[in-house]
Amino acid sequence: MLALALLYGLDGKNECRAVVVTTSKPNLKSAAACDAVSKFYAAGGFARVLPVGMPETGKDSESTPLLDAVAAKHDHGIKQLNDTADVAAVMRNALTAQVDGNSVIVVVGPLTNAASLVELAGTREWISKKAKALVFTDHIKEDVAAAKQVLKAWPGPLVFVPSDVSRDIQYPSSSIEKDFAYASKHPIVDAYKAYKSMPYDAPTGDMAAVLYAVREKEGYFRLSAAGTLSVDDGGSVKFAESADGKDRMLLPDPAQNERILKAYTELASAKPVVRQRFRPPVADEKKPEVKQPEAEKKP
Amino acid sequence: MFLRGVGTAVALPFLDSMIPAMATAAESKAPVRMAFVYVPNGIDMKNWNPETEGKLGQLPRILKPMQEFKDDVLLLGNLTHNGGRALLDGAGDHGRCCGGYLSGVQPRKTFVDIKAGVSCDQIVANKIGSATRFPSLEVGLEDARQAGDCDSGYSCAYTNNLSWRSETQPLPPVLDPRALFERLFGNGERLTPEAKARRDKFRRSVLDFVMEDTKKLQTGLGPTDKRKLDEYLSSIRAIELQLQKAESDNRQIDPGMDKPYGVPADFAEHFRLMTDMMTVAWQADLTRVTTFLVTREGTSRSYREIGIPDGHHPLTHHRNDPATIEKVTQINEYHVKQFAAWVAKLKAIKEGDGSLLDNTMLVYGAGLSDGNRHTHEDLPTMIVGKGGNNFKTGRRIVYRRETPMSNLFLTMMDRMGVHTEHFGDATGRLPGLDLA
Repeated sequence: MLALALLYGLDGKNECRAVVVTTSKPNLKSAAACDAVSKFYAAGGFARVLPVGMPETGKDSESTPLLDAVAAKHDHGIKQLNDTADVAAVMRNALTAQVDGNSVIVVVGPLTNAASLVELAGTREWISKKAKALVFTDHIKEDVAAAKQVLKAWPGPLVFVPSDVSRDIQYPSSSIEKDFAYASKHPIVDAYKAYKSMPYDAPTGDMAAVLYAVREKEGYFRLSAAGTLSVDDGGSVKFAESADGKDRMLLPDPAQNERILKAYTELASAKPVVRQRFRPPVADEKKPEVKQPEAEKKP
Repeated sequence: MFLRGVGTAVALPFLDSMIPAMATAAESKAPVRMAFVYVPNGIDMKNWNPETEGKLGQLPRILKPMQEFKDDVLLLGNLTHNGGRALLDGAGDHGRCCGGYLSGVQPRKTFVDIKAGVSCDQIVANKIGSATRFPSLEVGLEDARQAGDCDSGYSCAYTNNLSWRSETQPLPPVLDPRALFERLFGNGERLTPEAKARRDKFRRSVLDFVMEDTKKLQTGLGPTDKRKLDEYLSSIRAIELQLQKAESDNRQIDPGMDKPYGVPADFAEHFRLMTDMMTVAWQADLTRVTTFLVTREGTSRSYREIGIPDGHHPLTHHRNDPATIEKVTQINEYHVKQFAAWVAKLKAIKEGDGSLLDNTMLVYGAGLSDGNRHTHEDLPTMIVGKGGNNFKTGRRIVYRRETPMSNLFLTMMDRMGVHTEHFGDATGRLPGLDLA
């Protein structure tokens, strides 16, 4: 959830556009939670067009207290399966609308959905053309078959973010308790409260993938030499350096930890912004009602 | 089946008596027809989509004229044409949504070197078209301009055609009822076989001359001119094929109607004439594949006959003004009303154990859903007819969001006996359409 907050924080600063979000968990509450977070950050007026992608069936379909809490407490548009989209179709459609070589696919769960994408006929050409990289974190063991498929068939560069990159960086509970207080009802806070009893510091492995994907050149992390990634049957990722390889590993840089944590807390807790309209409003056009976060509403 | 007289042959519709007593089920099957009826500028979706899924009950306002035929209808929700979206190409939703409607591709933004995709009707026509006199029929009611800029840099070829023989060659619709009549049924004169042979020979010699002359031009042309010439030559080859077909098919069809004179001023009359002729063409098995572009995409046609002097397209950009939206709804209703009258005729024509409608899959739809915002998802899509007892009708099915419209067309091509693995942006076949 904090990875999503970080992504929307960067989006709010116009450093990226979150064009589509999918969940690998075939559970409507998981899709609803993604949609709720998206809607919360879109409350500043920026419409997100593409629906949440979700596999129809598969592993790990049970709900969790975190998903129950977010889906129950926050506005979303997912009531039934046909409110969601097929994962491969929606990701492919998102790619088709991007400038060549300008998108990054960030996976902070199992590679299930990336496998669906790469297996959809005609999609590898779109990936090659549009995606700069696939950045993924260490959730390989949750779907080893999908990981093998992706690492074998992905037509572009892969960047693996191992868990040791973030071992020494924890997201402070104090930030979750204070920095999100601009909204009386915040999906990120509700998610963390539901996960386990507060206060607790949260792991940041998934946030590292987002920060690297968007601020690749800012030097928060070190990058390995080129090579080739592979996965064994037990779900362990192997990396073999090779001059003609297209893959990389993200490596920790302890000297940057303080800077990274500062970026995490500032960006993830940033208040949704009201975006400037691309076109100036027409005088006689009825303005759509812009929904503001709770704290913005006047009594 | 023909009635042969002195030098004439009149085609009959598919009659029960044509089925031999001991015929197998396969032999007794009437042909399945596939047709697409396209209306422009989107639809007022609030008055199109029923509130619930499953068995159809009371239909929403725009579909009310179809109430009587609701058991023959499949209403599909959430089908999407991603290629209709801008995808970095900026304005021009009308050009894109129609130009790629039946091919599932995004047309190239140009009004010079046009490029879209082979439409599904033509994929089917290429495979099964040899069984009928006309592989396919393209019909329209409005504008057949093929050149110029019709939408923000998109060629009129995109807004004014549904059917594409190749990526670069659209098949313009026939607009004039008289021209359609003559194409389907000849000019009314009854020729002896000898006279017909003489005419065909003359036509062939003219074609040979044209072909020979054109080929001489091919050297020294630039790429655009060369493409145009290739298209021209392939059109001539298509005419040649039609001639060969006509030579081997001596039928002269009795359409059961007088030859029309020109284009009627009245929209409903024009619609009726064209659909009557399409009906006869299906009855006589002159073709099994038809596209009908009711009016061109982005049209600003007015509908004074129902008291709407404003242009259709400007009305759809209604800025949420209720009075303007009401006019759009009325136009949408008016179109469906004409369509329903056609459906009534198709249903009334007995064919085998059922009706002509039962052996047809007639898609009525648009390339835009909300014409005001130019949206390309949840496109209004209605299938009428059971497609040869293939579809379980009388239902509304809402698919998952972003489900490609191409999935429907891939499924329909299957039902026409034409199987292909890849089409447009299809991700697979549409589930749930079939009879259980």
